[in-house]
Amino acid sequence: MNKLLNVAQAVPRQFVREYAFKSDLKIKWVRPEKIACFKPEKSGDLSKLPPLNPNEILPEFRDCKELEKADEAVKAQFLLSNNASYLTTKFYRDEMVKEVQRHAQDFGSMEAKLAKMTAVIRRYQERMDSHPRDKMIKVRLKELIDKRKKFLKYLRRWDYPRFEWILERLDLVYKPPPAQFHWITRKESLQKLTDTYCENLKEERLEAYHKQLQAQQIPFLEEAIKKMQFVRQEQISCDVPVTVTEEHIAESKRQLAQLKELRQAEEAASSQKQNEDGFN
Amino acid sequence: MSRRGLLLMGQCMPCIKQNASKIRIRRMEMDKNLNMYFKKDEFYFAHDPQKVCKTGDVVLIRELPERLTRLITHAVEKVVYPLGDITDPLTGKKVVVGKYREDIEMANQLFGKSSKAFDYEKAPPRGRLEGTKDFTHGETYIKYHEDGKDQPFAV
Repeated sequence: MNKLLNVAQAVPRQFVREYAFKSDLKIKWVRPEKIACFKPEKSGDLSKLPPLNPNEILPEFRDCKELEKADEAVKAQFLLSNNASYLTTKFYRDEMVKEVQRHAQDFGSMEAKLAKMTAVIRRYQERMDSHPRDKMIKVRLKELIDKRKKFLKYLRRWDYPRFEWILERLDLVYKPPPAQFHWITRKESLQKLTDTYCENLKEERLEAYHKQLQAQQIPFLEEAIKKMQFVRQEQISCDVPVTVTEEHIAESKRQLAQLKELRQAEEAASSQKQNEDGFN
Repeated sequence: MSRRGLLLMGQCMPCIKQNASKIRIRRMEMDKNLNMYFKKDEFYFAHDPQKVCKTGDVVLIRELPERLTRLITHAVEKVVYPLGDITDPLTGKKVVVGKYREDIEMANQLFGKSSKAFDYEKAPPRGRLEGTKDFTHGETYIKYHEDGKDQPFAV
């Protein structure tokens, strides 16, 4: 019987609709556009390959005396731009390795490997821009980018100064992979956005409340000093034990002076900032 | 909190908290069912106002007599191994993977060192590329929203 009564008298539980819940906050979610993984903004290449000099001769024939004396038509045969594309890639690769290698024979150190890969990657990226449907190059490019990222990860763990130096020399960006993979969904993104919105709101309100409390500090202290003085006078005149000493009052006055100074300095700083903003 | 001042060694992880470093203590845990050991991570926040340790460093942390905040229970004692800047404890020489830096340098000199090559003496301390080229000091995430602003840690 008692149980039944309890059930009857219990406050009806608030009806919470958990399914298909739609927030009435005005948060607009924009799905980020997908960037192909071989694009420079994803692969971390900040700069492109320098443009090819049209008079660049094949590297093997650079110091050839006969070629200097030769006919224009013959010379044109030995131009890099008139030869196969892979020779240009090789040329760029060797140029880039020369920039970072430890000595003239070094092609296998980590920095030389990274330079080689970077040159080829940038060359392939140019190719992908002009021939977006070249699947073979796309696959090779993806694999190379992943490999370079892995090598950068290793180099960072082994030798941090060299890692930073190579990032600067090759103009690369290194971002560690995110902790876990997940697909981007509307629901989850909106949840995250709502969370940040609430956090911001909380901080804003706390800041406002803080300001409000700060504004009350000076009047409170002034009032307190007045009251302390009054109480002290009363205690002395009524001949009861004096609890409010001169030191208490002096301490409060000192606090007040400090606060006023602080506020003035803050105001000056803010007004100066406003002026600067106005000038700009 | 206890007054034992327990010392722990762990690795520094990226952390957004001010005045603190997030330290990962990795232990092996026995799975009785499979009769195998598995990695188990514990995270501690160590008081570190000067930011002595950077992401990836192996550090010693000591338990504080009483917790500083709700999160911070430890203090960074010392950095044992900075990431990628290892000193061999026996010889006191700098090491890269399996070789001494000296030996690598000697080989370079023998082959005729290139003037453009990397030099350890000229290398500034770690951290100059933070936020421009090297984003390992923070946690990256998969980009989920396009707000028109620059999101450096979005992947």
